[in-house]
Amino acid sequence: MTFSNLVAPFRKFSRRNILVFFAVLGPGIITANVDNDAGGITTYSLAGARYGYSLLWMLLPTTISLVVVQEMCARMGAVTGKGLSDLIRESFGLRITFYIMVALFLTNLGNTISEFAGIAAGMEIFGVSKLVSVPLAALLVWLLIVKGSYRIVERVFLFACVIYLAYPLAALSADVHWGEVALASVTPSFPADGGYVAMMIGLVGTTIAPWMQFYQQASVVEKGITVEKYGYTRLDVIIGCVFAVVVALFIVVACAATIYRQGLPIETAADAALALKPLVGEYASWLFGVGLINASLFAAGVLPLSTAYYICEAMGWELGIDKNFRNAPEFFWLFTISIVVGALTILVPGMPLLAVMYVSQVVNGVVLPFVLILMLLLINNKRLMGAYVNGPIFNAVAWVTVFALIVLTALMTLDTVWPGMISTMVSWIAR
Amino acid sequence: MSEIYVSAVLGRPVIDPAGVELGRLEDLRLVPGELLPLVSGLFIRNRGKRHFLPWGAVTLFTPVVVSARADGLRVEDAADADTPDIRLRRDVLDRQIVDVDGAKVVRVNDLKLRTRGANLFVEAVDVGIRGMARRLGQLRFWNWLAGVFGAKLPFREINWRFVAPLDLNADRLTLTVARERLTDLHPADIAEILAQLPHKEVGTVLGSLDPETVSEAIGELDPELGGRVISQLDSEQASDILEEMEPHEAADLLGDLPEEKAKELLGLMDAEDAEMVQELLEHEEDTAGGLMNNLFAFVPPAMTAEEAINYIRLVGAEVDNIYYVYVIRADETPLGVVTLKRLLLSPPKTPVAEIMTVGLKAVAVDDGPETIMEILSKYNLLAVPVLDDGGRMVGTVPADDVLKMFLPESITRKRFAAH
Repeated sequence: MTFSNLVAPFRKFSRRNILVFFAVLGPGIITANVDNDAGGITTYSLAGARYGYSLLWMLLPTTISLVVVQEMCARMGAVTGKGLSDLIRESFGLRITFYIMVALFLTNLGNTISEFAGIAAGMEIFGVSKLVSVPLAALLVWLLIVKGSYRIVERVFLFACVIYLAYPLAALSADVHWGEVALASVTPSFPADGGYVAMMIGLVGTTIAPWMQFYQQASVVEKGITVEKYGYTRLDVIIGCVFAVVVALFIVVACAATIYRQGLPIETAADAALALKPLVGEYASWLFGVGLINASLFAAGVLPLSTAYYICEAMGWELGIDKNFRNAPEFFWLFTISIVVGALTILVPGMPLLAVMYVSQVVNGVVLPFVLILMLLLINNKRLMGAYVNGPIFNAVAWVTVFALIVLTALMTLDTVWPGMISTMVSWIAR
Repeated sequence: MSEIYVSAVLGRPVIDPAGVELGRLEDLRLVPGELLPLVSGLFIRNRGKRHFLPWGAVTLFTPVVVSARADGLRVEDAADADTPDIRLRRDVLDRQIVDVDGAKVVRVNDLKLRTRGANLFVEAVDVGIRGMARRLGQLRFWNWLAGVFGAKLPFREINWRFVAPLDLNADRLTLTVARERLTDLHPADIAEILAQLPHKEVGTVLGSLDPETVSEAIGELDPELGGRVISQLDSEQASDILEEMEPHEAADLLGDLPEEKAKELLGLMDAEDAEMVQELLEHEEDTAGGLMNNLFAFVPPAMTAEEAINYIRLVGAEVDNIYYVYVIRADETPLGVVTLKRLLLSPPKTPVAEIMTVGLKAVAVDDGPETIMEILSKYNLLAVPVLDDGGRMVGTVPADDVLKMFLPESITRKRFAAH
C-alpha cells in the first residue's frame, strides 16, 4: 500500500469522485468508532490518568495494526462479496465455524453487558437512575434495528460518530502542553513497571477485537461494494481507524493534563468524568459523560447486530436488517436476546458482573488468534482472492502484526486469569 | 439400497480386505450421473499425502467401515490437482445453493448418499438443523434437547434434482430439472434469490436463464441493486438483457451506473431500443419524465373501433398498458382517451373520435410525484399521460410506479435487501 495507491481514487478530482466516496463511506468509519466503546474509553481514561502522556507512543503502532487488519477484511468483502464467517465456513467446515461462533457469541455478550454498564454509569453523571436509562437504551437500540432499514441504521451510526468530537472539545478546554503531547506521541518508553506494561497491552487489546473483522466485512458486503469501488472503501477504512485513534488520543490527553497532574486515583470512565468537574469545569465533565453514553449506546447497537449477522451467515440462516421476525427468526432472536441479557444483567441486583466480564475477556483472548490466522489464510487463497491476495511486503507486515497481536492478547488473557502475572514477568525480566 | 450421510463417513478409516488401514476418507469425487451425481472415487489422506481410489476398487461402503482393494490406490499427482473435477467436500458441502422449490438460497449442512446396485449417488442435501447436529456429532444431544421441549428436530432435506449449485463446476452435476424450474419461477422470486447471492455468483445463475426471464427479474430488483448486477455481467450479455427490458426500467438501471459504462451499454444496444432509453434518461429521475414509460398505445382520431382493436393486437406485446388507448393528432398532441372495454363494446365501424373521453387529464414532463399521485387518485386512473412543453404526448406514468414512491420505505426495501 503506497501513497499513490491511496490517492488513486482521487486522481481525477471531480465532483463525481467525491460523491462516490461519500456514497461508499460508512463501514470503515463505523467499525473503527464502535471500537471506542465503554471498555475502550475506560482503558484510555485510565492510561491518561495513571501514566500521563507516557503511553501516547503506543497509539501509532496501534493505528497501523488496526488499519492492516481492517483493510484485509474490507478487501475480502469487496472481492468475494461474502462475509468472513461465510468464507470460514466454506473453507474450513462446519465444526471450526460452529465453535468460533459460540465463542464469539459469549465474548460479544460480555461486551454488550459492559456497554450497558457504560450507559448506566454515564447517565448517573446526569442524575438519571440506571433503572430508567438502561431499559430505555435497550428499547431504543432494539427499535432502531427492528424498525429501521440498513440505510437508516447506517445514517444514525454515522451521526453517532460525530458525537465523539466531545472528547477533543473536552481536551481543548483543559490546560494541555501540546509540545509535550507531540513529543510523547513519538517517544517510546519501557519502564520496568508491571502496571504500565499491562496498560500498554490493554490499549492494543481493546482496540482490536474479533467482532470487528466480521462486522467490517459484513457491512462492506451489505453495502454492495465491489472491487471497482474498493479504492474508496480502503480510504474509508483508513480514515475511520485514524479518526478512532485520534479520539483515543484526546481522551488520554484530557485525563493526563488534569487527573494525572493532580495525582487523583480513578477506576472507571465515569470516575474520570466526575474528576474533571472541579479541575476543568462542569461542561468538561458533561462532555465526557455525553461521550461515554454515546459510545456505549452506539456499541450496544452494533455488537448484538454484528453477532446476529455473522452467526446467521455461518449457519446459513436468513439475515438482514431489512427482514423481519417472520422471515429471519434466528437473526432477530439472536440480537434481541443479546440486548435483553445485556440490559438485564445490569438491572438485576446481585448479578456476577465481574465474573461475566472475566469470562468474556478470556474467551476473547482465546478466539482472536484463530480468527486472525484464518483470516490470513483466506486472504492469501488464490482460489478466493485471485489477483487481490496480499502482496509479499504487505503479507510480511500482516503476519508480523497478527503475531504481535496474538502474543499481546495472550499476555493480557493470562494476566486476567492470574492477576499480577505481567508485573511478575516484568520484574523478573528487569532483574 | 441403503442411505448414508456424508458426515458419517468423512474422516473414517479406509481399510484393505486384510484390515490394514489405507488412510482416512477425505473427500469424494463426483461425476454427472444419469439422473443424480455419481461418486467416481475417493480421496484418502495417509501420512500427509492425498491418494485417489477409483470407486471400482471399493468393496464396502458403510458408516461403520469402508474397505477397498489397495491395487487401485495412487498418490494424487499434479494432473489430478489440475483437472477441474468436482469434490463433494471441497465444492458442495458448506456451500450455498439455490433451493429451487422454496425459491431461496440455503447452505448445505450435510449430504445424503444412496447406494443403488454397485453405484453410489448423491440423493439429497440436508439444509436443516438436523444436518448441522449430525456434522457436529451431536445429533443425539439435540434430539434429546428437542424431546425435553416436546418437539422433534425438523427434517429439511431437498432432493438433489431441485437444487442449483452456484459453483460453475458443480453446476454440471445438475440436470435440466432445476434449471427449468428456475426459469419457471416468478421473476419476483428470481429477483429475491439474486438479491441474496454474493455478487460473484449472480452471473452463474443468470447465465443459465434466458434473457427475457432475466430482464423481468432484474426489472423487479431495486434499481441500485439491478445496476450492480448488470455491471457485473459482460457488456454483450448486459446489453442483450437491457434490450429485453422495458425502456423505463432499463433507463432507471442505466441512470444508476457510471456514465461511461451506461454509454458503452447504450452503444451496444439495438439502435431503436437505445433511442427509447436515451430519451428517458434525459429527464430528472423523480419527475414525470423520469418515471414515464414511452411506449403507449395510441391511434389517430379517424380510426374505427375495429381497426383500433386490430392495431392493438399488432403492437400490444410491446406496450405495458393496453387498457388505455390514446387518440392523438398528427402533430402528436392528444385529443382524448378510449378504454379497451369501450372499444370492444362499441359497434366496429364507429370512429374512435366519437367514443373517446375528451378533457384528458395529463401532467407535464417536469411534474413531481406528488402532482402525478394527486391526479391519479383524484380521477382513479391506471396511468396518466405526460406532455412535453409543446403539448405533445411523450409517455405515460403507470399508477403502480408512482404508488411505490409513497409506500413506507420499510415495505419497498424489505423485499430486496442486499447482503
